[in-house]
Order: sequence, then structure tokens, then C-alpha cells
Amino acid sequence: MSVERAGETVPETVVEEIRELPKRFQPGSRSAVMPALDLVQEELGYLTPAAMSQVAEALEIDPGYVEGVASFYSLFHLEPVGKHHFYVCNNLSCQLRGAEEILTHLKDAIGVGEYGEISQDGLFSCEPVECLGACEYAPVLRYHHRFHYDLTDAAVDKLIAAARGKRRDGKD
Amino acid sequence: MAKTELRGSHGPAPDHVLTRWIGIENLARIGVYEKQGGYRSWKKAMTELEPAELTNEVKISGLRGRGGAGFPTGIKWGFLPPPDGGPRFVVVNADESEPGTAKDRYLMENNPHQLVEGILIACRAVSAQQAWIYIRGEYDLQHLAVQAAIDEARAAGYIGEKPYGVDFPVDIQLFRGHGAYICGEETALLESLEGKRAQPRSRPPFPAVKGAWGRPTLLNNVETLSTLPWIIEKGGAEYAKFGTEKSHGTRLFTVSGDVRKPGNYEMELGRPFRDLIEGMAGGARPGRKIKAWWPGGSSAPVLTGDLLDTPSDLEALAAAGSMGGSGGVIVADDTRCVVRMAYRLMQFYARESCGKCTPCRVGGNWAVRTYERVLSGHGTADDLALFDRVQSGLAAGRCLCGLGDAAGWVIQWTMARFREEYEEHCLRNECSVEGGGRAQPLPSTAASGDLPPPEGRKLAHA
Ligand SMILES: Cc1cc2nc3c(=O)[nH]c(=O)nc-3n(C[C@H](O)[C@H](O)[C@H](O)COP(=O)(O)O)c2cc1C
Ligand code: FES
Repeated sequence: MSVERAGETVPETVVEEIRELPKRFQPGSRSAVMPALDLVQEELGYLTPAAMSQVAEALEIDPGYVEGVASFYSLFHLEPVGKHHFYVCNNLSCQLRGAEEILTHLKDAIGVGEYGEISQDGLFSCEPVECLGACEYAPVLRYHHRFHYDLTDAAVDKLIAAARGKRRDGKD
Repeated sequence: MAKTELRGSHGPAPDHVLTRWIGIENLARIGVYEKQGGYRSWKKAMTELEPAELTNEVKISGLRGRGGAGFPTGIKWGFLPPPDGGPRFVVVNADESEPGTAKDRYLMENNPHQLVEGILIACRAVSAQQAWIYIRGEYDLQHLAVQAAIDEARAAGYIGEKPYGVDFPVDIQLFRGHGAYICGEETALLESLEGKRAQPRSRPPFPAVKGAWGRPTLLNNVETLSTLPWIIEKGGAEYAKFGTEKSHGTRLFTVSGDVRKPGNYEMELGRPFRDLIEGMAGGARPGRKIKAWWPGGSSAPVLTGDLLDTPSDLEALAAAGSMGGSGGVIVADDTRCVVRMAYRLMQFYARESCGKCTPCRVGGNWAVRTYERVLSGHGTADDLALFDRVQSGLAAGRCLCGLGDAAGWVIQWTMARFREEYEEHCLRNECSVEGGGRAQPLPSTAASGDLPPPEGRKLAHA
């Protein structure tokens, strides 16, 4: 597999940012852990053990605690994901409007057999998620920090093509 | 990208309290919001009324929490102990994760200043100088919209050291959630805000006394707080004119699923659901009949299609055998298998259990496995009894929070109200609704590895 290996650690500039986070919260609290993990995941794509140790050190708490928090929340990835990761809602309101078919189509289109698997080219992965809170636009997915509504197979294909740099207008 | 089509109530109407200004171009910008009359209530709250009067106005309004439990808002405000000089917090529940519920998102992206103004009013009423908005991590654009509104309000001096020259420094900050339904439960939310795994706390002490970072904390839902500017502007008595004797005001319902016009619709409490589902949301698809509907998110017991005339107030819903819950109305028509829908919801509760209470952690998975066995054509009469036992192990308040109850109710009430579909599956391994008499394959998300081996029974679809 030609998955691009993300770096194992975050650069010192990010560590600096993490050190500043606790100032936003009540003194002595651990509230900075999740915002810190956010910075790491934005940088690396997922949370490596080495980066979680960096967070622990920067916030002066134990790494086990950091991983304990990271592993509780589904938006944190402890394993690598594709460069383009799709969160596809398949809770009831979306399922009633075809989410299951969208998921099947998406898996085929990016060429993976399982949720969470990364495509051969390292570009894509997807996972089913619970209600995204946009049920009036079902079926819905979240992709690169934004929602896509009223999904159809064609709309999914368009997102994938754009990500592959095959946009007809030649951009990207 | 094309502008997203607004799906829901907007514009002036006699019973549009929350949505009266939605649809006005650039309402998210402070100048436009002010032009409608925005932030006048905040000014009134700071310059004309005492904090106790604010609470009193909300008590008179009869407003009840829109997050799920329906607790009277003014009374909750009164639970905070008198200020002792230490920090106090208002925490805004913007975690909105109840299946079928999108109305807080609608309010935040379309009218973020209304929420900010409501938060400020609540801060003043309970003498809290710091508010935290706990917003689910998937709401990226809504996060930006609310942050922009806060920044504008700060630049205008509404948030800051001395709003309107009054010595009441106040601030609002956002905290991003990370994908866990349980964070909507108020004490789990507080744990998460404190940087922990989100597992509910046992109560008492209640958050009003010991909430965020051990300090007195008021927790309210986005919709609850968004109602406050209207109440302070027009008076609690005016708000109380809407609704029924015990359920005052209006509510923003999300209608989704098998309807022609899904959306977020504001309606006076007490009006029948038929007005909402068949009127505003356009009713069932052509040629279809509504068979089942969840009136208050997936955690509210399912109701049958013949009950659409049920009034929308909390009391009428309780009398009909359900509850108001989150206001998320999920509609399913006569092409849908109830057992399959219950299975989907059960997967949700099993996955989202935080694991702290054993009945919920273990019971949910038992239920999922049972559904998978039955739906894949291996049901037996024993499974009917098993569903019952699993259900009673989950519900009845055996867990610290409502998640376990809700999981149990999914089984209990789908089975009580659609018994024949369960019997068909369990006794005959058939589905006359979706499968044309045959059990259908499980969806791709099934944990089918856990399925027991066939018990010498013929697969219905084999
Ligand atoms: C499992 C569970 C999930 C909940 N999810 C939410 C939610 O997403 N948003 C919300 O406002 N309230 C949610 N609640 C209700 C909150 O615990 C709390 O009652 C509410 O936020 C209080 O605000 P209100 O009085 O303004 O309604 C949930 C409760 C439970 C038990
Ligand atoms: S069920 Fe998909 S957004 Fe709510």
C-alpha cells in the first residue's frame, strides 16, 4: 500500500500553540486536552502515540490520560484515514432516504471493502456516522469540515472526481 | 457553492417567535440583526431590569427547556445559590445529537445573534460572567457563525467589560465536542468540558450547585436560550398567551423521514401534529400512508400513524404514551419495517453508550445481536421473550442517565405498538412490509460476525 506516512510528531510551533491553550480555561483544569488533540489531528490527519505524548508533555499530564480521552470520542482518529475522509450519516432519517445505498456506492467508488479502510492510492476512506443534525437535508455527509446535502450517487462521484483533481474546469 | 435552501419556518407570522426574522438577508450580521430590533432586550436587561426581574419574567412566561426534559426554565434559574464572589457559569447545550433533531443547527446558522443575546440575558439573570457554548464538533459552519456573532457583539461592546456602562464584565466562548451523543446529557457535557471522558455524574449535586469546574452552573439548550430575547422584549405574559395551560409558547420542530417537505417548523404548542406533519411538512409521499412516527427524537416512544391528531403540548404527548423530547419528529410510512427501524436505533444506542452503567453497556449489545439474528431469518419464539427481558433490563431508570431508558423504550414501544411485525419476524421469519414476505439482508453496518450459527432453520431468503 502506498499510503503516505504522516509524520509521527507535530512540529514545535504546534507544541507552542498547545502550551498556550490552558490559559483559556479554569486554572488546573484539563479542558485543553481536546483542543490540543484537534491541533494534532489537523496537522497529522490522525493521532499518533508519539504526538499524544507530545500533548501530554506540553500540558503536563500523563499520556495514558490523553489517550483515554482521545479513544472516547469518535471524531478522533487513532488510526490513519485517507487524505479525503467521508463521514456519512446513516441514522434513521438518512437511512429512510437512501443512506445505505449512498454508503455502498461510496465504498465502491473509492475502492474499499470495509469502512475505515484506506483506498490503494491513499486518498480516500469513509465511515458511517450517527445523526449529523441536518436531517431535513437527508441523506447527508460531512467532508472536509462541511456538510453535503440531498446526496445522490452522482453528487458523491463529483466530490470524488474533484478530489482526484479531475474537475472539468481544470481547477485544483 | 450555491446557497443552501432554507427548509423551515421563516419570516413574520403570528406564532413565529424564534423564526420571525429568519430569511432576512445577512441576519447573521450584527447591523442587520440590530435593525430588526436585535440587542434591545439585552439593553433592557442591563439598564431597566434587575436580575431577579429577568428570572421572574421567564417564570411568568412558563418557558420550559427545549433540550429534552422540558423542565421549567425560570425555576431552574432560581436553583443557583446566591453569588459568593467565585466564578459562575452559563453552559449552552449545543451538542444536538438526538436522532432526527436539527433545530438548534437551524437557529445557530440562521440567527446566531439571537442565541448570543439570549445567552447574555441568562448570564445577567443568574450573575454568571462566563458562558461556554458546547457545540458538537460536526457543526463546523455553525461554529464559525456563532463565533463571528460573538466577535461582532464584542466589537459593539455588548460583550466585554462594561456593557451599556454597567459594571458586569461578561464573556462567551465556544468549546468543540468530538462526536459522542452522550455529551448532550448535561453532566456528561460538563465532564467533557472539563477535558474528561464524557460519562454522566450521579446527581445530586445538581449542576446549579456544583456544575462546571465544581462551580454553580446554569445549563440550557440553544432553543431555550434563543427564546429569551423575545420574552424580555414583549414580556413573559405575552409569551404565555401561546400554547396550552401547562405547555406555553411555541416550539421549533424538526420533521424528517418520509414526508414531502422535511424541515424545521415553528408551531404553537398544543396545535395537533397533523398540522405539522401533513400541513407544513407536506405529509406522506404520494400513495403512501404514515405508519409510525417518533414525536420527540428517537428517544421518545414511537406512536402509530392513527395518532396524528395528538396535540403537540407535553401533556397531550404523555397522555398519548410518548413525550415531547427534543422536538425531532421522525416519520416513517407503510413501506417501512418497524423491526428494522428499531434495529437501526438500537445500533445507535449500543454504540453511543458511554459504558459507565452495566445495564446500558451490555444490554444494548444484547439487543443488537438479537435484532440481527431475527432480521437475518433466525428468529424464534424465544426471541420475543428475549426482547422483553433485554428491554426491562435497560429501562426503568437502572442507569445514571436517560440513554439506557431510551434504548429500552425503543424495544418496548415498537414491540407494544407493532407487535404483529415482531411476531412475523420471530415466529415465521418473514417480513410482509419490506421483504414481500421474506427477511431481507442486513445492512452493511451489521456486526454480523457476532451472529450465532443457523439453528437448523431454513433461512427465509435462502
Ligand atoms: C442521552 C441524553 C442526550 C441528550 N442530548 C441533548 C442534546 O443534544 N441537546 C440538549 O439540549 N439536551 C440534551 N439532553 C438533555 C440535557 O441533559 C438537559 O436536560 C438540557 O440540555 C437542559 O436544557 P433545557 O432545560 O434548556 O432543555 C440529553 C439528555 C440525555 C439523557
Ligand atoms: S439522520 Fe442523518 S442527519 Fe439526522
